[in-house]
Amino acid sequence: MENKQDTHKGIWWHPLTFPVLLAMACAAGFGGTSMQLVHGKGAFGSVVLVQMLNTALESGNFAVLSGYAGGFLFARFLEGPLVGILDIGGSICTGISFGVTGLMLAAGWKSVLTNFPLALLCGGAIGLGLGLVIEAVRKGGGFTTSASAATGMMMGAGNSIGAFFGPLVIVTAIRFSIPAGVGAIVGAALMYAMKKPIVGGAIIGAMILGTLGPIPA
Amino acid sequence: MLPLLLKAVVVGGLAGFAFAAGAARMFHAPEYQAMGAFRTLGEMNACRGDPIAHLSFGASFIPVTAIDAVAVGGIGQELWHRTVPNVTAGLLLLKDKDPDRTFKNPKAMAPLGALVGAVGMVFYMTMASAVPAKMATIAQKVMVPAGQAMMDYLMPIIFFLTAIDGGVHTGVASILYGGFAQMVMGNAVPGCVMGILVGKAVEVDGWKRSTWILVTAVTGLFIAVAYFRGFFTTLANLFVAG
Repeated sequence: MENKQDTHKGIWWHPLTFPVLLAMACAAGFGGTSMQLVHGKGAFGSVVLVQMLNTALESGNFAVLSGYAGGFLFARFLEGPLVGILDIGGSICTGISFGVTGLMLAAGWKSVLTNFPLALLCGGAIGLGLGLVIEAVRKGGGFTTSASAATGMMMGAGNSIGAFFGPLVIVTAIRFSIPAGVGAIVGAALMYAMKKPIVGGAIIGAMILGTLGPIPA
Repeated sequence: MLPLLLKAVVVGGLAGFAFAAGAARMFHAPEYQAMGAFRTLGEMNACRGDPIAHLSFGASFIPVTAIDAVAVGGIGQELWHRTVPNVTAGLLLLKDKDPDRTFKNPKAMAPLGALVGAVGMVFYMTMASAVPAKMATIAQKVMVPAGQAMMDYLMPIIFFLTAIDGGVHTGVASILYGGFAQMVMGNAVPGCVMGILVGKAVEVDGWKRSTWILVTAVTGLFIAVAYFRGFFTTLANLFVAG
């Protein structure tokens, strides 16, 4: 046991280390979204989340994006200090990268995000702040236990959305063109047979076979 | 192409450093705050410190992430909470079998994680850039209507149903907040999310002071949003104009 005490000394176990690590992670999340806005690739999300961002950008309504992703951030942030492990999928990849940036886009601060160094700084500052709050809350004894139960339900809803999105893409691919539809069907079937999410197979299949036909107006 | 790859190195390096260090700290939670996922901790424990098991488990998520990257340019969470921690751990274990000096040690994990993250980001960005223009157009034309349908109908319905299935507290709170959110924000999802949080707080904690604070804050937030979006003016005009 005395050996274990020795390994927990130094800079890596300082109370300020976690806020710094969180700042780096959030800076990276903001950087990814910045890349997505400028280059059309790089955000920390799967097909469903990135498509949510694209649809929000097109329609100008960011309510779903920031409500959904921000809800995850809020719940995971309440849960993190309580259990000792901050869930990076919900808090950083979803909440920071899409929820907080969605709020900023809704407020018309797009120029902050399209400027890569500024996006990194902004994400870093937010992460540092959140990290300091988490360390402070840990000292104070933690938040309510209900957050874990709420995140469990939201995870379930998120998984259902991912599951529903696959068949939805097959339907829209078939409505787009017959070659794309055939590709989506074959791709989804192959993915299902390999026990992977079918949405990816449906899109890639539609992309590959869709090129055989014309692009309808 | 070069700016994109430079940004990929920066983002991948930062994220890889933080997430690899966070993963090492998971083995010291809850005494020290970590970041990762309980699922990741379980998966890393299941590999039992065998380098090949860690490497192959981490690498098994490369195809799924590659599909996300090619389809919409996104980098799924699997890169960060599965590939980076496990591949980094596997590489460290190739040289040293002691868990305390390798995957349980943030000092060893973080720098190598930064390298794995940067290489991963560059790899996926290159792959996403290689998609021909016509294919990208088709992907976009198929995904836009699917995304619109998902946001307009699929997500509100799934959130309503999840809240209702979760019991009477979350159900009632989500129908009230979700319905109001649909009216003032054009979508029920933010309201349902808040309804789930409020409903669970009432169910688990009862009407404690913290619950009252949460209910007041959420209700106040929604009323403020309604006010700033001009909802009350629209509502008043319904009666004035008639």
